Amino acid sequence: MNRISDMLWRCIGGLYVVFLLAPLLLVVLFAFTNRTLAAFPIEHLSLRWWRAMLEHPQFLPALKNSLTIGSTVGVISAITGTMAAMGLSRIEPRRAQTLTAILCLPLMLPPLLLAVSLRTFYTQSAGIPLTLGTVILSHLLFTLPFVVLVVYARLRNFDYRAVESARDLGASPLHAFFTVTLPIIRPTVVGAALIAVSLSIDDFIITNFTIGGGVTLPTFVFGMIRTSLTPAANAVGTLILLMTVGATLIALRLTRYRG
Amino acid sequence: MAERRGVAMQLVPAGAIFLGLFGASSVFYFIVSFWSVKLYKLHADFTFANYLKAIEQHWSVLLFTLELSFLIGVITTVLGFVFAYIIRFKAGRWGTLLLLVAVITLFGGYLMKIYAWKTILGNEGVINTALEALGLIDEPLTILFYNPGAVVVTLVHFLLPLAVLPIYSSMRGITDIEMESARDLGAGAWRTLSDIVIPRCHTGLIAAFALCFLVSVGDYVTPAFVGGTISMIGSVIQDLFGRALNQPLGAATSFIMLFASFLIVLAVSGLIKAWRPR
Repeated sequence: MNRISDMLWRCIGGLYVVFLLAPLLLVVLFAFTNRTLAAFPIEHLSLRWWRAMLEHPQFLPALKNSLTIGSTVGVISAITGTMAAMGLSRIEPRRAQTLTAILCLPLMLPPLLLAVSLRTFYTQSAGIPLTLGTVILSHLLFTLPFVVLVVYARLRNFDYRAVESARDLGASPLHAFFTVTLPIIRPTVVGAALIAVSLSIDDFIITNFTIGGGVTLPTFVFGMIRTSLTPAANAVGTLILLMTVGATLIALRLTRYRG
Repeated sequence: MAERRGVAMQLVPAGAIFLGLFGASSVFYFIVSFWSVKLYKLHADFTFANYLKAIEQHWSVLLFTLELSFLIGVITTVLGFVFAYIIRFKAGRWGTLLLLVAVITLFGGYLMKIYAWKTILGNEGVINTALEALGLIDEPLTILFYNPGAVVVTLVHFLLPLAVLPIYSSMRGITDIEMESARDLGAGAWRTLSDIVIPRCHTGLIAAFALCFLVSVGDYVTPAFVGGTISMIGSVIQDLFGRALNQPLGAATSFIMLFASFLIVLAVSGLIKAWRPR
């Protein structure tokens, strides 16, 4: 009896995995078709749509913009997020939790509302032209909470005695941070930054409303899906998946995430 | 004193980004909802006309969106609960792997997931070509696609990881000792589930429903790609910032949508909290 029910649970678990992964694997598979349609049957595997992607005039600008935005967002959110997490770890846990909850508010809004309210703010109130800079600023709103949450969780079981000894031996706060604290929490900070990068590279909605004229990989692939439905869109999509999943996997290893 | 100044200094950059950007833009957005538009230019004003117009013109779309999103929120939360339950209590050493799948699919591929369902459900899609190859149908089934059902499937697939994680983190707080003592005291599987597991998952369940519901309410890409002619309130708002440029009306519509969604989230979280051990 028990064995049958265990088998059953495992089968259901397997179905979930298929449901979650199969659609994404299909997108990847169709990126390698030799036909002009992202559909079965695939006659033989080919790289023609990857070539088509590389030859598209918008591809390189999109890749460059995505990398610029992603890396800048990663660095800024890692620095400001780590600082905030350190500040929070030094105040009472309950107040820290309230502040973190407030910081997470942008995550509770539908992304579209964040996008249009930021766009209205930039263009109508502050008179800031929409550029990559406005995209980077906007992305910080949804990447910062993640960095703060992850780093704060690490600092809560951080042994401060090492830092105190460094301070007792005459190290300045900054010196103690760079020689003691940072080396210990570095994997967590880098992992959190990579999560920020992956969220930023994947974002379409907020980018679409705050970028003005330019393209990123998601806005580029959005245009491709809307107009010409060729497997070149699958190639770009696969590239985005590789970048985001790759960054997430490294992040998980570094932060030793267990739920 | 120096200690407190140090803490304040560390919180300043993140606080400045949050208040200067999120705080200021939200307040400005609220103000704009009372403005008017003259010849495509914003005009500072104080009128409730946008709210009245938003309700009058978009009431049925809003209602439809709320119903559909409620359905999506409930389905995703239930499916997420079962998956989290399997990871925590049933999968044994495979649990970590299942969790990994949920996390990987969380952070990537928003557009790709929607596009994937287009290639699965469409006329030339995987399901139709498979049925045709098997000789079960002669013409592609058009009912698979461009309808509310396709929107539900696509969004449930996209949101499932988002529902699994908060519920799973609630379940991690339940110890094996608690589960075993319940069993030793004679509680069956259902009794343990309803008296221990679900009451301990209140926070996770509420977070899961709220996130999935709110994201669905505001989505406009999914209906545009797989929804066909159906209109959701996100599409209306997006249009008011694009083709039919009228930001005040768009802002007013947003706040009505947020307020209605907030009421529903509040009601559902009340219902979830009412589930107590007998």
